Amino acid sequence: MTRHHPDSLSLMEYSAGNLSEPHALCIRLHLDECPHCRSRVDTLDSLGAVMMEQQPKVTVSESMFDSILSMIDNEPAGAANAAPAPRLSPLQKLLGDDINKLPWKRQMGDVSVLDITDRFPGQSEQVVLQKLAAGGKAPAHTHRGEETTIVLQGAFADQKGVFNQWDFVVLDDKDEHKPVAVGCEDCITLSVLSAPVKLTGTFTRMLNPFIR
Amino acid sequence: MSTLEQKPASSEGRKDPWSQLLQKVGKNQDRAAYHALFEHFAPQLKYYAMANGMASHAEELVQEVFVSIWRRSCLYDWRKAAASTWIFTIARNQRIDMLRKMQRTSAEMPVETEDLWQIPGDNEDEPVTSLHRLMSERRIRESLSHLPEEQITVIAKVYMENKSHQMVANELDIPLGTVKSRVRLALNKLKVILQDQNV
Ligand SMILES: [Zn+2]
Repeated sequence: MTRHHPDSLSLMEYSAGNLSEPHALCIRLHLDECPHCRSRVDTLDSLGAVMMEQQPKVTVSESMFDSILSMIDNEPAGAANAAPAPRLSPLQKLLGDDINKLPWKRQMGDVSVLDITDRFPGQSEQVVLQKLAAGGKAPAHTHRGEETTIVLQGAFADQKGVFNQWDFVVLDDKDEHKPVAVGCEDCITLSVLSAPVKLTGTFTRMLNPFIR
Repeated sequence: MSTLEQKPASSEGRKDPWSQLLQKVGKNQDRAAYHALFEHFAPQLKYYAMANGMASHAEELVQEVFVSIWRRSCLYDWRKAAASTWIFTIARNQRIDMLRKMQRTSAEMPVETEDLWQIPGDNEDEPVTSLHRLMSERRIRESLSHLPEEQITVIAKVYMENKSHQMVANELDIPLGTVKSRVRLALNKLKVILQDQNV
């Protein structure tokens, strides 16, 4: 049961189609598991439809409908109204079947990371997977810019609460946190970073998943 | 789902005419229905394409959306989305898809547009919440007519011009916080904000 949801403004940017691909992925992964937010997005999609209906109309060229008809007539037989192929989840397409077996890079102590920014060509954000070993602690840190995170496996806790699988959290430069993996599974998260984080406290000079 | 009203199908009232037409296209490949949908939605879609900066590809976008409507109409379920909502999401995805394809090759796209942006009713196995979905368009139309102009302007820029909240703030020369509070006020009225956290 997810308890931490994206806020309405992010869902609106999603519904409008204005989010970057990694951000949209975070929202989509949450929506697939959260009927509550899916229903909010349904309403927002309807808002988009009503906005479009209330704008001016622009005449299309007279021949357009005929060219559309010839396009659908020239579709290979069976292509129209064919049942869609069984779908892999976006996560499987990106990362394969077992996210525990990815080429994780041990950073320090309990933290491993994998930078997957290159799966999203042309984006300005950094996209990283982080793994906190079961029962492990991450060093205290704050964030420069904004970091959007979704929990893919296991759970972590910080002073704001417990974040379970498919929970959604956005952190910014005002949030210093020190996450601990809770439960008996490694905690794996997907994060989209608009800027690198900075370390605080005694860990300042140590390597951190986010320091490049 | 306790916030959603569940009522038997008999009290749902009539389907809107566009949803009925779209269902005919899906069931019988009805070309007259398809043409009626085209007459109604193509001029809206062309405006959408032009407003969001695809002017030189506006007609191409409208065509692609309609081919996609034809192809997917068998998946359309009026209980899951009104036709106009469903068509809006197809247009949104088609626009994103065209932009992605202009920028890179398919080998560079392990994830497809529809893996990221969902069309309502696709791979959903939850119980149908038709009344909620059908009501929402009617309710939105009604609520929008009471919103102040400044809120509608911001929403139109987000949905039609595909500007982020930050871009809208820059363009209107107002603080980002003002844009966000206008959007929040509007979404409150539209009852999208049910249980936001940290707001
Ligand atoms: Zn949610």
